[in-house]
Amino acid sequence: MNIKSKFKEHYWPSFKKLVNKLTVQTKPVRTHTLSNGIVVIEPFSKTPLILFILLILSVIAWEATNVNLTYLFTRFGNFFDILRRMTSPRWAYWRNVIQPMLDTIQMSFLGSLIGALLALPVAFLSANNITKNRVVLGTTRFILSLVRTLPVLVYAAILALAFGFGVFAGTVAIAFFTFGILSKMMYENIETIDLGAYTAIEATGSNKPKAFVTAVFPQIMPSYLSYSLYSFEINIRYAAILGYVGAGGIGLLFDDRMAWRRYEDVAVLIVMLFIVVFTIENLSRYLRKRLS
Amino acid sequence: MIKFEKVGKIYPNGVEALKNVSLEVKQGEFVAIIGLSGAGKSTLIKLINKMHGVTSGTLTVNDIKVDKELKGKRLRSFRRQIGMVFQSFNLIGRTSVIRNVLAARVAEMSFIQSLFGIYSKADKIKALEALDKVGILEKAYSRAEQLSGGQQQRVALARTIAQDPSIILADEPVASLDPITANQVMKDFARVNKDLNITVIANMHHVDMALKYAKRVVGIRDGEVIYDGPAKNVNENLLKEIYGRDITDEDIMFKDDEHQI
Ligand SMILES: Nc1ncnc2c1ncn2[C@@H]1O[C@H](COP(=O)(O)OP(=O)(O)OP(=O)(O)O)[C@@H](O)[C@H]1O
Ligand SMILES: [Mg+2]
Repeated sequence: MNIKSKFKEHYWPSFKKLVNKLTVQTKPVRTHTLSNGIVVIEPFSKTPLILFILLILSVIAWEATNVNLTYLFTRFGNFFDILRRMTSPRWAYWRNVIQPMLDTIQMSFLGSLIGALLALPVAFLSANNITKNRVVLGTTRFILSLVRTLPVLVYAAILALAFGFGVFAGTVAIAFFTFGILSKMMYENIETIDLGAYTAIEATGSNKPKAFVTAVFPQIMPSYLSYSLYSFEINIRYAAILGYVGAGGIGLLFDDRMAWRRYEDVAVLIVMLFIVVFTIENLSRYLRKRLS
Repeated sequence: MIKFEKVGKIYPNGVEALKNVSLEVKQGEFVAIIGLSGAGKSTLIKLINKMHGVTSGTLTVNDIKVDKELKGKRLRSFRRQIGMVFQSFNLIGRTSVIRNVLAARVAEMSFIQSLFGIYSKADKIKALEALDKVGILEKAYSRAEQLSGGQQQRVALARTIAQDPSIILADEPVASLDPITANQVMKDFARVNKDLNITVIANMHHVDMALKYAKRVVGIRDGEVIYDGPAKNVNENLLKEIYGRDITDEDIMFKDDEHQI
């Protein structure tokens, strides 16, 4: 028995019972009587309970993370000090930034591309209207949740240890990350589409993968390309910090310049990163608009 | 030839949709299946290309036994001989008409070819000819979703023709069309049946359309065949028996005297 079904069978019912006890039984049930005598029972809303739980969780989170407001104000001076030094950037530093910046863009682009390509066949296997086999469905979805569990930075750290420091580890890390998110977005997308054409192609004697690429691709392509571009857009920001864990790109420079307290150089880095992110974001938005 | 021998169908949820159906359809016949909603018309059709499997009895189609053993590659190559047309047309909306017709050819192509939509010249000509047969050649490069319902159903018919089938199954092919268009589409079915000698088995919601275009009618009630014979012998009494009630306006497409039976 996999974890999901175990959870469903053992924990979920008792949790549900608890919630029902807290909500339904503490308040009188609301009923409406129609003119023809039919009585409709309105189930009690669970929203207040959920809000209450969220409030408790927020308080716990606040305590656990030691957020300290006085600390924030006393150290604000330091922040301005750094900011002031950044106002006089050492522009000559830009030459050193070009190559790592290209690495960053490359990591983001290749990683997004590889992740997006791998996501499609897995989305096909994980969509419950295409794959009827519960074992296959359960397995792929479980693996996908596992893949999505780790943040991209953790992937990069592990991969940098395995494949050595550099762009390769960063690319693979971003590919993993993109794959996890995009495959989920795509299988949810596939589950909402009309499968009439897919059934019709299957009825001609085609196998499922061929019916899928012929009948389903044209329907999901616009949103797939749009999601992929969006991932690329987001990934450029992740790629910028991957250097911190040794995965190449301008994150390495950030790490290095900050350690040496060369805020004049950090300013150049930030300006150049801003230009790149801004350009890519707008390019991507333009392309996505054209697609929809 | 299609041969049902004491075929029964029970769905996994316990519904007995067909009971003891025996039926023989020769190559090139045009058969209409009529009956109330829930009588088992769609089930009967879906057994033929094994969209659903039979529960009891034997079903033989073109000398192939349609049973549990028929699966995987063999099932797929069996299905190539059988075209299917749906009430909701089931076209790929976002692509051109010709690509919809070409989709019938992917069963014969490699995965890579279908992935990139690489069709051979012969297939393209075949698709265009199929469109010509249903009189809609000039729409070949329009987007499928821009066509009217009747035109879409013709494209669906062209798609099955492009498949070179020996049998066409149609599940209420004109039920969602207006009367005039429905007539035109049924004429296309009749022409395809006659010119290409393709067997047509069509579920018909409207009695008058069934009697007008099919030479043979099969009446089903509660999963049992209670009439099987020439369309011209179907009379009021028989229809009463098949439907378990009088025929109403609901069951007839043309309500004016000129077309009424
Ligand atoms: N996939 C299925 N699973 C379970 N029961 C089904 C399934 N398909 C049909 N049935 C049941 O089998 C019976 C016959 O259904 P069928 O669709 O063959 O009727 P029909 O004559 O085509 O009706 P309609 O005119 O409404 O299309 C019905 O009681 C229906 O509920
Ligand atoms: Mg039906």
